[in-house]
Amino acid sequence: MNATTPTGPAGGPPLPPGSGPHGPGRPPSHPGPAGTGSGATRVLGVAALAGVALLALYGLVVSPPDVEMGDSVRLMYVHVPAASYLYLGCVVTTVASALWLRRRTPGWDALAEAGAEVGLLFAVITLVTGSLWGRPTWGTYWTWDARLTSTAVLTALLVGYLALRRLDLDPDARSARAAVLGLLLLPNVVIVNRSVEWWRSLHQRSTLVRLDPTIGGDMLVALMVGFVAIGLIFAWLLVHRFRLAWLEQQADRLDLDAALAARRAEATAARAAPPAPGPSSPAPVASPPVPEVPSR
Amino acid sequence: MIAMTHAGYVAAGWLVTFGLVGAYALAIVRRGRRLSRHVPVEERRWS
Repeated sequence: MNATTPTGPAGGPPLPPGSGPHGPGRPPSHPGPAGTGSGATRVLGVAALAGVALLALYGLVVSPPDVEMGDSVRLMYVHVPAASYLYLGCVVTTVASALWLRRRTPGWDALAEAGAEVGLLFAVITLVTGSLWGRPTWGTYWTWDARLTSTAVLTALLVGYLALRRLDLDPDARSARAAVLGLLLLPNVVIVNRSVEWWRSLHQRSTLVRLDPTIGGDMLVALMVGFVAIGLIFAWLLVHRFRLAWLEQQADRLDLDAALAARRAEATAARAAPPAPGPSSPAPVASPPVPEVPSR
Repeated sequence: MIAMTHAGYVAAGWLVTFGLVGAYALAIVRRGRRLSRHVPVEERRWS
């Protein structure tokens, strides 16, 4: 990575802190493609949109209503994949946090942050769609059931993780604390996932991860389409959020470089300038009167 | 789709899902565009 010292117009002196358009000492605009997109993410985005269209077709039209739950089963096609990608976001954060603690490279730190933020989005979607599904199915939007409560705890942990990352601390200390908290996400995912087995729960048990899936036909196809479509969305969001975190790291580094360059320029200018005489020069001190010695 | 039971819950769930995803995606893209104008091209390895 090149350390770029931002300069003023026409290669002039470094910009003073606070003069940039985004924070202190930001260099002038750089040419080149703007944003976090690339050819690969554009292909991914188009595939995700196509997947969402297919999901709407299968989830809202082709799939039949459930015998017991009626049409509210159509919420399953977004709820279950969202919960799965919540887990995946937490796994990404835990693995990236462990690798950052081991290697201390900024890319792992950026990936950990991206995984947590995208995971939080899917946690909110999971809780909202679960509540909306629970109302017609269980007769309540919320109950302090093991699965629901553990998911809420995981969501609170993600919020705490992201709040910790926004503390005004030394970047390395902040990343280290966040990485330690990030390591706790994976055990929480295991607790959430196994909660329906470990405790008596209102929430249904696994429908897919077993030898005899309890759904089939068009409902299974719609759920699989949901996994693919929301998986493509997850991948698109994760890549863009990772690149955004990377840009934020680079921008912070440029800010610091600019501030250091400005301080060095001030110090150099202060040393080079000769001391100027002026009204502030000290006035000559009057010598004390000499006592008169009597002659002999 | 016609005479769907619990249509309000289904519609709300789907709208919340894709509304949140769309809003978040838009926010990321806008922040990325704003920030990348101030970071040199060589630091944007995907460009």
